[in-house]
Amino acid sequence: MNLALTYPWVLALIPLALLPLTFAIQRRQGYPSLAGVEPDGLSRAVDIGLHLLGALAILSLLAAIGGLHLKGQTVERVGEGSHVVLLLDRSSSMDETFAGKQATETEASKSSVARELMREFINRRDHDRFGVAAFSTMAMPVLPITSHKDAVLGAVDAITRPGLAYTNVGQGLALALSMHEADPTAASRAILLVSDGAAVIDRRVQERLREQIAKRPVNLYWLYLRTAGAPGIFDPPREGVPDTPQAMPERHLNLFFQSLKVPYRAFEAENPEAIADAIEEIDKLERNPIRYQERIPEIDLSDLAYGIAAGTLLLLLLAKLAEVRLETGGALTRSKAGSTVAAARQATDNETKRLKEAA
Amino acid sequence: MRLPALKDPRTWLAAGALLLTLLAIFVPRIMLQRDAYDVMFVVDITTSMNTRDVKLAGEPASRLDVAKASIQDTLAQLPCGSKAGLGVFTERRTFVLYEPVEVCANFSALHDSIPHIHWRMGWQGDSFVSKGLFSALSIAHSDKADLIFITDGHELPPLPYSGLEPYEGKPGDVGGLVVGIGSHTSSRLLKYDADGREIGVYSMQDIPQENRAGPPPPDAESRPGYHPKWAPFGNAIVNNKEHLAIVREEYLKKLAGVTGLTYAYLGDDRSLANEFTKAAHARSLERSVDVSIIPGSLALALLTLLYGIAAVSAFRSPIRSVHNST
Repeated sequence: MNLALTYPWVLALIPLALLPLTFAIQRRQGYPSLAGVEPDGLSRAVDIGLHLLGALAILSLLAAIGGLHLKGQTVERVGEGSHVVLLLDRSSSMDETFAGKQATETEASKSSVARELMREFINRRDHDRFGVAAFSTMAMPVLPITSHKDAVLGAVDAITRPGLAYTNVGQGLALALSMHEADPTAASRAILLVSDGAAVIDRRVQERLREQIAKRPVNLYWLYLRTAGAPGIFDPPREGVPDTPQAMPERHLNLFFQSLKVPYRAFEAENPEAIADAIEEIDKLERNPIRYQERIPEIDLSDLAYGIAAGTLLLLLLAKLAEVRLETGGALTRSKAGSTVAAARQATDNETKRLKEAA
Repeated sequence: MRLPALKDPRTWLAAGALLLTLLAIFVPRIMLQRDAYDVMFVVDITTSMNTRDVKLAGEPASRLDVAKASIQDTLAQLPCGSKAGLGVFTERRTFVLYEPVEVCANFSALHDSIPHIHWRMGWQGDSFVSKGLFSALSIAHSDKADLIFITDGHELPPLPYSGLEPYEGKPGDVGGLVVGIGSHTSSRLLKYDADGREIGVYSMQDIPQENRAGPPPPDAESRPGYHPKWAPFGNAIVNNKEHLAIVREEYLKKLAGVTGLTYAYLGDDRSLANEFTKAAHARSLERSVDVSIIPGSLALALLTLLYGIAAVSAFRSPIRSVHNST
């Protein structure tokens, strides 16, 4: 049991519960002699019951005031999902449409299309944990891997803000990998790179990335938002165009990713529907067993305690209302021939008189 | 039917306790208005923020480290329901890392994201503080949030002689703080190489001491070596101490005045929550508050009184005396 009190000082008041054990709710009344009354088991039980009810009323009120609750807890469960670092391109070209124009009311920018679909993806992935990194001229860590989806959505929302100048993919990837390294848990790991362009990755940076990936393998997804007229990932070089990273950075980034020896998928999306398909595909692929934490919320028991207190108080009150007065009760009720106690009392009175006379 | 028990105060006490307990069950929550705040934290990550002229837990620390600690402390003191976002400033604009999200539910994520702010995230070295502040204000305005802008106010290159550009927004639309950080005594600006290693300090000649991009000052004619075409700024060496790092409070107060923000100096008390809540637009939030403890405690008091009376009457009872006398 995980019972807990919000205000533990109520425990200091527990001795109050001794009061009803000692004293009764009924009025103490004089009675000449108990010798003539036969011991009655039921009466004894009712008497003890009333004392206990009083104690119970006080204890349950104390529990209710103290805020008795079952503690919330986190339990580990196993589900399907993975730890995903979203690596988001924040270069200014993301603010343009797929046609390479300025975004208008009818035609959304690449970043806002990507934002909506990623929001949907994040909301659909119940057990995933997400980290967010952005890159443009420099790589920027945004959120370390977390299960707080609102924060992740806040970071995804920010991609529609005006971007910066360059597309420094190499540094961004290094950052995303180091975010995975900083996350100690065992889970399937993925990096989702969302960009609308690529850049040459320095040979030294390439070596470092290979080392990082060898140390902690990840599944790599590249969602390439292709602008009309921009070179594709899978296109072979055209006539007269040299097949170099400088001339065709997208193609060569794809080749580099393929050479990393980790599960890798590239998606080329030229319109919003293609992005949706790609994200659907990633959603299907990233289904590995994952241990995730589920929070069981706190359960408030104070209403239950108040209920018990109310119940006991009701019984006590009824018992109290059923009380009769011995001293005057007989005289008052004699004419109405009401209570048996009054009759009994009269009988006793007569008996006493008779005994006195006899004496 | 006559109930003799009605004459006994204990009956009424028990009835009262019962009523109060029922009250505690059925009207346990009342709605109260609470204030919540939406805030965009923007921190200056230009080189001058690396100056180690402030203290964190008694140890010398860089301005950026103290600024980050301050954001964490302030986050912890914002009332639940408030939202916080984060951005960094360098060059001439503010770059949003995440839009405002609720602080309590996402506390650990927000709190853990702060230590990752680093000056190497900066995409350019310039430090147009006023432009950065203005862009932060327009971002905060679009989020309907207030602003906490933490900077040392070191404008580099210096402002032209024409002074500050006019602020295009409406002063007071966005509330919040311009927070100055840094020592009041000057220290040297640190110098870094391309890989981010510290390699010394800047000397006077390394740093533009005055802005020569704009028109020359009106008194330029009286400067030594002045020539209207070849030396419109004169040819004397100018030393405006721009290579020294010092918190530019006068400038920040002026910026705060222009934009309708409040200026605050980040001293030993790192939490900005107090100053911020005074300067911000509160968003009133209906929150249910459990007040069942009030009728509950009263019920307990009545019950204690009830048994207290029982105890007193037990000791004062005439019954005992009757027994004793017979």
